Amino acid sequence: MRILIVEDETALRESLKGRLEEAGFTVDVARDGEEGLFAGREYPLDVAIVDLGLPGISGLELIRRLRADTKTYPILILTARDNWQDKVEGLQAGADDYVAKPFHFEEVLARVQALLRRAGGWASPQLKCGPVVLDTRAQTVSVAGAPVELTTFEYRILEHLMLRAGEVISKAELTERLYDQDYERDSNVIEVLIGRLRRKLDPEERLQPIETLRGRGYRFALAREGA
Amino acid sequence: MPSISRRLLISVSLPLALFFGVMMYVLDSGFRALSERSLHELLDAQMVSLIAGADPLPGGGYAPPAQSLETRLASPHSGLYEEIRSSERQWRSPSTVGLSPDFGPLLRSGERRFSYGDFGHDRVAIESRAIQFADTDSPAGTYTFSVAVSLSPYEEQLWEFRRQLFGWFAGLMLALLVTLAALLRWVLSPLRRMEREIGEVEEGRTEKLGEGYPRELAGVSGNLNALLVGERKRVVRYRDTLGNLAHSLKTPLAVMRSSLPPGAPAAALSSEIDRMTAIIEHQLKRAAASGGALLGAAPVELAQVASELRVTLLKVYARKDLSVELALAPGAAFIGDRGDLTELLGNLLDNACKWCQVRVRLSAAVEPVSEGRARLNIAVEDDGPGISEADRARVLERGVRTDQTVPGHGIGLAMVLDTVELYGGTLAIERSALGGACFRVRLPGR
Repeated sequence: MRILIVEDETALRESLKGRLEEAGFTVDVARDGEEGLFAGREYPLDVAIVDLGLPGISGLELIRRLRADTKTYPILILTARDNWQDKVEGLQAGADDYVAKPFHFEEVLARVQALLRRAGGWASPQLKCGPVVLDTRAQTVSVAGAPVELTTFEYRILEHLMLRAGEVISKAELTERLYDQDYERDSNVIEVLIGRLRRKLDPEERLQPIETLRGRGYRFALAREGA
Repeated sequence: MPSISRRLLISVSLPLALFFGVMMYVLDSGFRALSERSLHELLDAQMVSLIAGADPLPGGGYAPPAQSLETRLASPHSGLYEEIRSSERQWRSPSTVGLSPDFGPLLRSGERRFSYGDFGHDRVAIESRAIQFADTDSPAGTYTFSVAVSLSPYEEQLWEFRRQLFGWFAGLMLALLVTLAALLRWVLSPLRRMEREIGEVEEGRTEKLGEGYPRELAGVSGNLNALLVGERKRVVRYRDTLGNLAHSLKTPLAVMRSSLPPGAPAAALSSEIDRMTAIIEHQLKRAAASGGALLGAAPVELAQVASELRVTLLKVYARKDLSVELALAPGAAFIGDRGDLTELLGNLLDNACKWCQVRVRLSAAVEPVSEGRARLNIAVEDDGPGISEADRARVLERGVRTDQTVPGHGIGLAMVLDTVELYGGTLAIERSALGGACFRVRLPGR
């Protein structure tokens, strides 16, 4: 999952970045509204965290411009003022949820995960597709009740595919979700990871959870449950 | 306190009435003096012709020759009467026929007398003069000549004059007062306009007074406008400052919190950060609540604020399958600051959304309490577990949360209570028909 943090306070930004990376996110950061606008427009994001009290382009304005630019990924706002007028304005501008400063990181993480689930059409933190169950809070995967050990990259790819189960997701999109722009991109890595995932989830090749659509990408083929 | 125009009207019409009264009295007495003098002249002239025309009668006594009598003396009740009388003889003009005239007592020689009397229904002025004729020495030779003239023509004239005088003066005074009232209306119209505009500002129908006041009032209206605008700006700046203060205090706290390593020693620090946050939150919000309507601020329609909050909360609580029902009577408006109302409803609704299963209802209506005064009743209900009677008072205390597992700083409800009290209202917790808690807010209106 690729996330953008727009926060002018360096210590806070870096700490959020570190904790989110630990939680398995690919993190982009922006120090002010201008950088945020650029990153928000150019990078293939899954979710953004925006501080309302930004220098330059304000947080509200940033959200408005991103939404006007038809960016639909969920946006979580951080606000220090914590009054309803600001919350109402933030959500009217196009944000999806808010967290008041000073926050517990766990709360931010829970809100971000909830937003991602909602964006993918999931109501509960547990994504169930047939016998495959992915718990976004615990970051665990099981098939028919038996836990499956996945690497970070494998987990990230599976989470992305399952959050948008039924949709076709291109190889390029998966690559961008895995790496910051600084990494060298190698599309073979995705093929290798998908292959490993198929073997781990479906060693007997009965489920066929991940479909390959030649030239278009991949699709998680098992039907959603409890969505 | 009588109005300025009434004071002016009274203070002008009193001297005016006095002036006209004195004028009327002076003119009236002048006219009376004038007519009295002409009466005397008439009587004198008649007296002279009576004395001159009186001839001795063959049997004694004097009388004017019958053929020389003027017609008024010859016809009865004509208004002109004469008498020549001594102690023994008496002649009266034929005009006295049918009357019992009393021309007064006999006078001594050389004596003169002027008096008033009544001949029947006729009021008369009588002049008498006694003349001693040279041919006799006895008192019987002293003749009293009397002439009486009816006063009614004079009185009629006098009353006619008075009627006219009064009519003119009354008309004049009325015209003056009407002119004065019209003038006052014109002169005081800027004041009246100012009064009206201040009323509109108070009711929030307009933000400030208009332009174009006369020079004497331009200062007042200008200063009043400056005060209104300045006060509004001051509140905005004050809130901005508080907001910035909250931001600059809480961001470092957020940094501190995010730099804490996991583990036991950090937990103590973390709870201190929580405390500081709660204090900042509470004190700043308390300071930001204005607790009253700014002059020129329009009443805040509940419908708009409520629907904005509803959309916000539905988004924030998207994980719950909520229904937030708004039952707002038309005209339900809050006399006060929009920010205060948003905080009040936001906190109550957020709380309800937090605790409910699926239903939240906000209802509001304006209820008239006494002449011209109304009360705004707001109720926020949910279908959650409700609040037991024992907990109700405790819930409203600062920072108390009955269930520590639900996120929030727990100062929301205390904040609500503060705001409600600031506006002179009341907050009560009851059981809702939906099954959960019902927070009932009553706020005084206009």
